[in-house]
Parts: sequence; structure tokens; C-alpha cells
Amino acid sequence: MAASQGFKTDLLATIPSLRAFAVSLTQNADRADDLVQETLVKAWDKQQSFQLGTNLKAWLFTILRNEFYSQMRKRGREVQDSDGIMTARLAVHPAQHGQLDLKDFRAALERLPQDQREAIILIGASGFSYEEAAEICGCAVGTIKSRVSRARTRLQEILQISGEDEFGPDAISTQVMGSPAA
Amino acid sequence: MKEAIKTASAGADRRRGISGDPLGANSEIGRKLKQYYDELVSDEVPDRFAQLLAQLEKAEAPGRKD
Repeated sequence: MAASQGFKTDLLATIPSLRAFAVSLTQNADRADDLVQETLVKAWDKQQSFQLGTNLKAWLFTILRNEFYSQMRKRGREVQDSDGIMTARLAVHPAQHGQLDLKDFRAALERLPQDQREAIILIGASGFSYEEAAEICGCAVGTIKSRVSRARTRLQEILQISGEDEFGPDAISTQVMGSPAA
Repeated sequence: MKEAIKTASAGADRRRGISGDPLGANSEIGRKLKQYYDELVSDEVPDRFAQLLAQLEKAEAPGRKD
């Protein structure tokens, strides 16, 4: 069937992004690939319900995310870590002066509460708008905004990045104005 | 023409990162986040996914159940 052929091609094209999002959620490459596999099967079954012309990537991210949380619930694991209970247990690993190492960044990202991590990934890396991210996460746009903001502050704290956000919310406008180094 | 539109919208996406949120190119967090994610995206995709989709397609092709 020609339609499913096109759908298949589109699915294939989205796999790299799906895997990246899955790794960000699970922090585990094997689990991530299982999650992507489940997502593809589900998406295939539900392809009739996908509305042509809408954002396939967002639709797939939604399926993947739902699948992830449903697996988490089945495993009986704590999904939310908003108070940073888990985070607090882990050792502080401050960034060296100057360039921030990608390894340090990855470790810092792992220490974020789940909801903040997914928000900052969707907005800052996957290229979704706040509206799209809100839809994917099934929450209000304002919620996404505050999660992103908290995630960013948290990352800066963990990585001990100074100079970016030292003076509170105004730092954002400072960035918008741009610095010579940018 | 289509190409030009595509390029323009890609540029807009890029700019949105700078002006629309605090994770733009001027922010170290924003840069690292991109770097982290791009590395994951560029990871080679295992064959199992193409095989899976081929199977799903094959299973569906003859005698669709509708």
C-alpha cells in the first residue's frame, strides 16, 4: 500500500531523533532502543489515527514518552524527582574553569529531575516549540517554560557555571542583547 | 523556490533558539545541550529498526483486516 510505504519512510527518517530522545529519557542505550522499537510498533498500529499534515515527529515523541512513563509505572519506579532526592545523593562534580566538558554536562543532565530533563531536551535540543513540547508532555505551556527555566538554573548550579545567570532572570535579557564573544 | 523557503525556515528555527528562550547559542548550557543531543542523533541506527518496519509492512500487505 502506497500510503504505508510513505509512512514507513517517514518513520525511518525520525528514528535518529527518537533514539536521541529515548536515551535522554532512559539514560540507557539498550532501554532506549527497546523504547524506540515499542514506539514504532505502536505508531504503526495507530497510523490511521495520525493526521496527515500534522507534525509526525511530535506525534512519535508523544507515543514514545507515553510508553516510557507507562513502563516506569509498571516497574514501580519513582518517576518524579522534583525535590532532587536522587540528585542530592550523587556527588558534586563541578566544571573546570573555562570549557565545559561534554562528559560533565551529560552527568549533570542525568541529575536533573525527569520532568525538567525532558523539558530542556525538547526545547533546547529537539527543536520543538513550547507549544509542541507542552502537547507532547500533556501539560500547560507555562509548565514547560518553568521546567526549562528550573532545569537551566539547576544545570548551572551543578556545573557551577558563573556569569550566565548570576544576576537572576535579567541574565536572559543580557543574552538576548548578545555579548561580543557570541 | 521551495529550497529557498526551506532554508529560510531552517534559519528561523535557528534564530528562535536565540531570541525565544534562554537556551540560545549564546548560552553555554544551550550549546552543550545541542552538542549532547547532536551526538546522540548522529549515532548509527541499528538495522533492527529497518527490519522491524519491513516486517510490519509485510504483515500488513496481504489481506488487510479492514
